[in-house]
Amino acid sequence: MLKYILKRILAMAITLFIIISLSFFAIRLIPGDVAGENAAPEIKAAMEARYHLDKPLGEQYAIFIKNFLSFNFGESMTLYPRRPVFTIIKDKIPLTLMLNIFSLVLTVPVGLACGIIAALRKNTMVDHAISAMVVFNVSVPAFVFASLLQYIFAYKLEWFPFLLNLDPQFSFSKFASMILPILALSFGGIATITRYMRAELFEALNSEYMLLSKSKGLSKMQSTLRHALRNSFIPLCNVIIPMFMGLLGGSMVVENIFGIPGIGSLTAASIQTSDHYLTIAVLFFYSIIGLTSMLLVDLSYGIVDPRIRIGGGKVRE
Amino acid sequence: MSKKQLKLEVPPMLDAEKIAREHIEPELFEQVAGEKIFDQNMEGEAIGFFKDAYLRFKKNKAAIGAAWLILFIILMSIFAPMLSPYHFREQHTSFGTMPPRIPVLENFGIANGCVTMDLFAADLEEFGDAVKEVKREYIWNYKGKEIKKVIAEIDMYEYKDAKEHYFVFGTDNIGRDLFVRLWRGARISLLIGFISVIINCFIGVTYGSISGYYGGKVDMVMQRFTEILGGIPFLVMSILFIMVLGAGVSSFILVLIITGWIGMSRMIRAQFYRYKDYEYVMASRTMGAKDRTLIFRHILPNAIGPIITQATFAVPSAIFSESFLSYLGLGIQAPEPSIGVLLAEGQKVLTSSPHLTLFPALVVSALMLAFNMFGNGLRDAFDPRMRGL
Repeated sequence: MLKYILKRILAMAITLFIIISLSFFAIRLIPGDVAGENAAPEIKAAMEARYHLDKPLGEQYAIFIKNFLSFNFGESMTLYPRRPVFTIIKDKIPLTLMLNIFSLVLTVPVGLACGIIAALRKNTMVDHAISAMVVFNVSVPAFVFASLLQYIFAYKLEWFPFLLNLDPQFSFSKFASMILPILALSFGGIATITRYMRAELFEALNSEYMLLSKSKGLSKMQSTLRHALRNSFIPLCNVIIPMFMGLLGGSMVVENIFGIPGIGSLTAASIQTSDHYLTIAVLFFYSIIGLTSMLLVDLSYGIVDPRIRIGGGKVRE
Repeated sequence: MSKKQLKLEVPPMLDAEKIAREHIEPELFEQVAGEKIFDQNMEGEAIGFFKDAYLRFKKNKAAIGAAWLILFIILMSIFAPMLSPYHFREQHTSFGTMPPRIPVLENFGIANGCVTMDLFAADLEEFGDAVKEVKREYIWNYKGKEIKKVIAEIDMYEYKDAKEHYFVFGTDNIGRDLFVRLWRGARISLLIGFISVIINCFIGVTYGSISGYYGGKVDMVMQRFTEILGGIPFLVMSILFIMVLGAGVSSFILVLIITGWIGMSRMIRAQFYRYKDYEYVMASRTMGAKDRTLIFRHILPNAIGPIITQATFAVPSAIFSESFLSYLGLGIQAPEPSIGVLLAEGQKVLTSSPHLTLFPALVVSALMLAFNMFGNGLRDAFDPRMRGL
């Protein structure tokens, strides 16, 4: 197990290194000049010195990697001029994180419940309805759904506020304004979990150990709860943990639509104002979260499924 | 057929063996029926793999509907921009943000080019004949003053003197016809989806075949490579690439290819691992078949169903990625529209002209829904064991 984890961490370090290198080349290759085209030569020289552009390429690369690994991403250029990128990101994290956690709190139980119901009542009306919902949720993009929610519930019916309430204190009205973004974020995830849960549980229900558990006298309830459900949970950690990453991606558009000043809208704004250093820092932040979640998936396999822990390696096809 | 099933097929006990064991003399047997054998001959033609799949697919009504819908959208995206009297870049600056007006439906009060407006009563005269109906009059208190206001339905086509025009889906803020732009956008989205998926299939199948067939060290190295490449989040890589390359059809396709083939290669590799130790492969090898024959003739055709299914599912996700990136402001550059660009433009004026969001949203949802249903149908048809999963 330890050797396996070490191997995974090594692979991830290489991935991270590639991402940093890509970022470096992206920064260097993006058309345009740091100082602007018509800048005076002194300003240009000062800017180049500031961003280490006067040094040889190899040295620039080394400085870039060193800065990235010490979370020193430089300063924002256009969006929040002269503010360190790291503090900007740090300020934006809590709101995005809060929304995403709320969304997960909604997504996971609802998805599991739908999946379990659909598997237990396979090929009934309930199952068909849930399957239709899954296909619908998978197909309609989150941003279309978000626009729809906003138009109907916030503009036409006026049940919820149009944009997020930005009070520093947590209040009821703030929570009410968070409902629509949370729904929009959870939309796709519920479908994903439902689909997996239904498939896994259905397979577990039809397996031979279920026959055994029934023949030794367990009731349907007991055997489903103790054997089928537990086994069908194993592959789910493969879905739920990476979903966090997906949520962060989804929150880019959802945050834009509902005017939430979080990481997602920061990314979009930094792209639109070509604030490249900020964009790259945010992307680095996303990469770290993505890689960490992948590592967690691998670890969780070992924790959830003892066969892998003892076997000393992930079972591969 | 899997190995398990092969093992289960115990050869039936031979008659002679049975007879010998039970000590029954063969002469004691006599034939009951006459000489004629009543077993039915195999009638009808043999059903091949694709025909079999097609027969199963035909039973799935949702998938058939989805296939027609896809065909309809493809045809519209090809021909609608050609047949329409407008051009996707043509601006009618005096007809900005016109509501939709559709020839036949307008007589039934749907899409008749009318908008409901909240106006000052004094301004109502300005609209003249364009006022179709005054729905409600009310008094608005503004800083102590009482101002008369009306909610009236106004025919924008009458008001703007555009009675001879039919903007079927309305126009955007600079008066470009949404109908033409939408189908042109769908064309670009579909193009990006199809081309990227075809290239991904090609790379994925080749890579997965080599990795799966040769196994061992080759496989190990190739797997580590995909692991490292696959670790880069799609979002991160696509944004970086589009920042450098600029947004365009070719850079979108490139971004979708860089890591898009990994899923396909994993599936193909798993198929090779499953089939390469089969007896029929061994038999062919013994008879001197080359690696190439074994790969392309004997093992790869097993994966044809999953390849088609996975490719079908990859199209909507490519279309989604394109709209998503467009939405973030990394979209195809103006004046060329794509569904994502149209949606992003529409979202900015969601409350004042909802038709600019509604129609692109409908088309992109219909397209993704159709491809997902079609993919489900194909999966069930190619591999009935997976049905309903």
